[in-house]
Amino acid sequence: MSLWVDQFRPRTLDTLHYHKGLSERLKSLAASGDFPHMLFYGPSGAGKKTRITCTLRQLFGAGVEKLKIDQRVFLSPSKRKLEINIVQSNFHIEITPSEAGSYDRLVIQEILKEIAQTQQVDLNAKQRFKVVIINEADSLSRDAQAALRRTMEKYMSNMRIILCANSTSRLIAPIKSRCLLMRVAAPSPTEMHDVLKFVSKRAGFDLPEEVSSKIVDDSGGNLRKAILVLEALKMQSPDLTGSITIAKPDWETYCNKVADLIVSEQSPARVMEVRTKFYELLSHCIPPTVILKTVAERVVERVDESLKAEIMHWAAFYEVRMRVGNKKIYHLEAWVVKVMSLYKHFFYDIDMSGFD
Amino acid sequence: MAFVANGLLGPATALSDIIDSGSSSSFSFGSNGLLGPSTVNDSNVPEKDTGITDQETPDNGGTKFSFIENRPLSDPAPNSSGSSFSFAPNGLLSSTQDDAEDLPSVSQMLGLPSRTDASLLSNSSTSSSFTPRLSVRATTFDGKTIYMRKKIKKTRDTLPGGSSASSRRIGNLLETPIHRLMDDISVAEAKRLRDADKFAAIRSNSNDAPEDTLWVDRYRPQRFVDLMGNERVARETMAWVKQWDWCVFGNKKGKKRTRDADENADEQDEYHRPREKLLLLSGPPGLGKTTLAHVIARQAGYEVMEINASDARSGQVVEDRIRPALESGSAVGSTKPVLLIIDEIDGATGAGENSNSFVHKLVQLTYDRPRKKQRPGQKRDPNAKRPILRPIICICNDQNASSLAKLRPVAHQIRFSRPADIHTVRRLREICEIEGLKADSRALSTLVGVARGDLRGCLNTLQFIKSRNEDVTESIIRAATVGMKEAESSVISVLNDLFSPMTKKRVKELGMSEGDDTKYVARLSQEVDGSGRESAIAIGCFSHYATLCRHDADFTGKYQQANEWLGDFDRFSSAMYLDGDFALNQYLPYLLVPFYPLFQERGTPRVERSQADWENLQLTRTNEEIYKSLSRCLRTATVRHGGDYRHLVSTPVLQLEFAPFINRIISPSLRPVNSQVIRPEERALLNRLVDIMASLELRFVQERAEDGQLSYRLDPPIDVFITYDSKRAGDIAVSRYAVRHFVAQEVDARLAVRDSEVVEKGKRGKHDLFGKASIASGGDGERPINGITNLSNANEPSNKRIKLGKVDIADKPPTDFFGRPITTPSATTTKAAARKNVEKKYRVSYRFAEGNSAAVRKHVKVSMFL
Repeated sequence: MSLWVDQFRPRTLDTLHYHKGLSERLKSLAASGDFPHMLFYGPSGAGKKTRITCTLRQLFGAGVEKLKIDQRVFLSPSKRKLEINIVQSNFHIEITPSEAGSYDRLVIQEILKEIAQTQQVDLNAKQRFKVVIINEADSLSRDAQAALRRTMEKYMSNMRIILCANSTSRLIAPIKSRCLLMRVAAPSPTEMHDVLKFVSKRAGFDLPEEVSSKIVDDSGGNLRKAILVLEALKMQSPDLTGSITIAKPDWETYCNKVADLIVSEQSPARVMEVRTKFYELLSHCIPPTVILKTVAERVVERVDESLKAEIMHWAAFYEVRMRVGNKKIYHLEAWVVKVMSLYKHFFYDIDMSGFD
Repeated sequence: MAFVANGLLGPATALSDIIDSGSSSSFSFGSNGLLGPSTVNDSNVPEKDTGITDQETPDNGGTKFSFIENRPLSDPAPNSSGSSFSFAPNGLLSSTQDDAEDLPSVSQMLGLPSRTDASLLSNSSTSSSFTPRLSVRATTFDGKTIYMRKKIKKTRDTLPGGSSASSRRIGNLLETPIHRLMDDISVAEAKRLRDADKFAAIRSNSNDAPEDTLWVDRYRPQRFVDLMGNERVARETMAWVKQWDWCVFGNKKGKKRTRDADENADEQDEYHRPREKLLLLSGPPGLGKTTLAHVIARQAGYEVMEINASDARSGQVVEDRIRPALESGSAVGSTKPVLLIIDEIDGATGAGENSNSFVHKLVQLTYDRPRKKQRPGQKRDPNAKRPILRPIICICNDQNASSLAKLRPVAHQIRFSRPADIHTVRRLREICEIEGLKADSRALSTLVGVARGDLRGCLNTLQFIKSRNEDVTESIIRAATVGMKEAESSVISVLNDLFSPMTKKRVKELGMSEGDDTKYVARLSQEVDGSGRESAIAIGCFSHYATLCRHDADFTGKYQQANEWLGDFDRFSSAMYLDGDFALNQYLPYLLVPFYPLFQERGTPRVERSQADWENLQLTRTNEEIYKSLSRCLRTATVRHGGDYRHLVSTPVLQLEFAPFINRIISPSLRPVNSQVIRPEERALLNRLVDIMASLELRFVQERAEDGQLSYRLDPPIDVFITYDSKRAGDIAVSRYAVRHFVAQEVDARLAVRDSEVVEKGKRGKHDLFGKASIASGGDGERPINGITNLSNANEPSNKRIKLGKVDIADKPPTDFFGRPITTPSATTTKAAARKNVEKKYRVSYRFAEGNSAAVRKHVKVSMFL
């Protein structure tokens, strides 16, 4: 039994609930016989992967749904073993090179070449090419992206690449220019309402309007999250009546707590307190950038208008440093101290010119 | 002849006459030449010319030798050869002192010819006639009898006369009269001898035995009372060792082993051993930990068995060497009981987590319970682990070393601290006095200060100074201890230096001028660099700085700067490691130095080792593992469910969305239910829960807590993801034991069903092909059936058994365990009816020829192939 997220996931382009125009376009592309490399991008939970699978089905028929999962082992130059999970059907292959960390280039080179150099053997296949889906393309290292460039051109006859990314900003321009960019925007609230209604209908219960809107408000355009929340809600309080509170993910609640701590008091002791909270979050494998972003957003909500821009600016500043650096906690704390300083100086109305 | 002999000192022309004059007389001249060192070479020259001796060398010893040698050659007379022999023994003093020794005898020789020139000549020619006059008779080593005259008396008599006579006769051949020369010589000789005595005295200390022992060894305390330093430590150690006496030496009545029999007589320990069976001595180097251990062991009557870093120290060693030694109680060939000293234990190899590490084995050794009911006469089982009955002393520098983590709880810890400088200085001064080293106490206290109380280092330095200079001054100490200052420093000490200014004392110790201590950059960066662990220091700085400036109104300024530097440090180091650009390494220390001007403050508490970062790292690793196992579960679910869960595996989604919500999804608000009495809506909920858990292979695993309470734990423990600050999320109630128990049973049953399905599926596939089974397709057919069998009946375990039984029955005609055909026993129940239906579906349509090489023979209709 699958979760609702998967159970009610549309399988074909026709059954997709929103972005009909995009679906039409994909359909016509699949029919055209001249299928390009593609780059799907958009926020998390907008339905990129769903659309990709639907497109594949449109291209190859039901055969793509016969999946098998392999684990491939690569040897890094330093003889370290890298395990990569591969999902594949007869017609396509899905890889997440970022699993290999900084050796993603190796994975790209090995797998892509291997696939690209063999032709489609299934004579009944609708298309002559195979498709490679690269997930989390925006976390590909520069080397890996560079390795992709030439391969994309050279083996065009045998292979199409579909990249899936949250944003295009971290993809190098040559890649972008080789792909057809497909933006999958987050669904609008009404669209989400529709989807939730559809899910509840299929699951066999009635979703009260207010619950639905609460979920939609809370999920911020992330449909996957919305459906997970819905399912969790249904499990925890099956009748869905009365005062329903939408459970936030725990890390988010915790981040908010941290933000409140920062705003409520600025002192060395508080710095220490916040630090232990950060450690706790980090130890739960919450990505530090997400921590910073969530906390910052919450802090911004609670401070004066004039400080908001400043705080966000520094959040961005330290996020960059965090990406460059190694010890995330240093930069998180640096930001906290910065915010405390800003807040304090604002509070006491002291000239802040000296702190830039 | 004699005159000419004297003339040797003067013009060389006289020599030719002497040589011509005869071999016997030439001897005596030669011996005359021995008088003064300056003349010796001259006297040699003629002799060489004469070719009498070949072996002589130009130095004094050689001359004397020639003198001895010449005699037998030129003069056969035994008495004269005897005199030459008597000189040789006199020359017992080292060869350099020949002149001094020869002096009287030679002068007597000088006198001899002058008084009775004829007598000597006759003496040499007619030997036997003089024999009666000789009063001393001696035997040489080769058995010759030698007669010696009493020369001394004669010498005394003849010396003045002889010299005066010669001076008178020779006139002014010498510028200074011979007696004055002689006096001068004797004065010089006396002075030289005095000096030589002094040298000899020193040499006897530092030359013969001394040269090959270090002062450290020479002045190592031998007895307990000799021990210097912290007396409390020594006493405590002694007390601990003494606690073993009952066990090792037996009590006074000699009931040594009788207590072995009456077990449990002593509640604490039947051997009356101390509670902690290990002693851990820790402290900085050079304070005498090893010495203390040895001295105390000897004093307490033990034979020391030492294992130090030079020995192999793997877990195997414990079994091979230590255990036998401790069990047998004494070393081979020794009557004393053995005491084990494990020196430098913090460097023991294989100190990792594995169970074969040295420390681990050692700790295990102490845990071994003494065997019960062991009678003295009883034959011991050689494989049985006997308790250790001998004390073990472990010595280390860093008691917080990670490798000792396991040892610490079971060991009695005694920490060495630096003794008061005044004691160390006093001991050093004593040693200096013995060694004849002039040392002022200021220099010595400087030395102790620089060495930070390291007595061994001090002694080595002093010995080094001794080998070059005579006395110890402060400047020499400074020069000699240049290297000591840069000694490797631990992370903690570097941190302390970063966060607190140098004490006035230390400034003085290092001999820095007043302005120097304000120049900190070079000093601190060197120190950071010297430790070689920049990142550890950075973490230390990070964890410590926020505890400072607590009462500062504007802490943020300093904090920001500190963070700025830390951020820079981090960027540098990550650039260094990621790009392999290790040239950046030299700049790293400088990025940490700014903590000094920012936060240095006098009187702040010492920096302590902060474990927060390390603990966080460990926790992160554990959680990563849990995520990994969760994603493995997801992957298997993906395989099973046609790729359904695969989009949830990707990294951020898993942590941020899936992990929190799956926890909520699998914890519905079920009340403790009796499986028979369950409302339909709860039944549906339960079904779904079980479905999801089974598909993700999440299970509840029964566990017994320490207090014996049974509990169910999620496996993999994904509920850690909703647990922050060790508090579970508020909206997710921990389901009660009964519920979990119930769910666990359901899940297990479901998983068992699924496993059997996998087996069945293959078989069913054949059914579909060949047997025309009524089931349309495996995928669609199996679920409803399982659903019915699984959920419609309330009694889960029995259901499971029946399900499993069904599989067997499906393949074979129903037989019981012994292979006898049976009729279905539960034909009366409705369940059995249901099963019958199922059985019909599985009615065999092919014959399974077991044991045949053509394993499966099937009846196949032609239509199947069309």
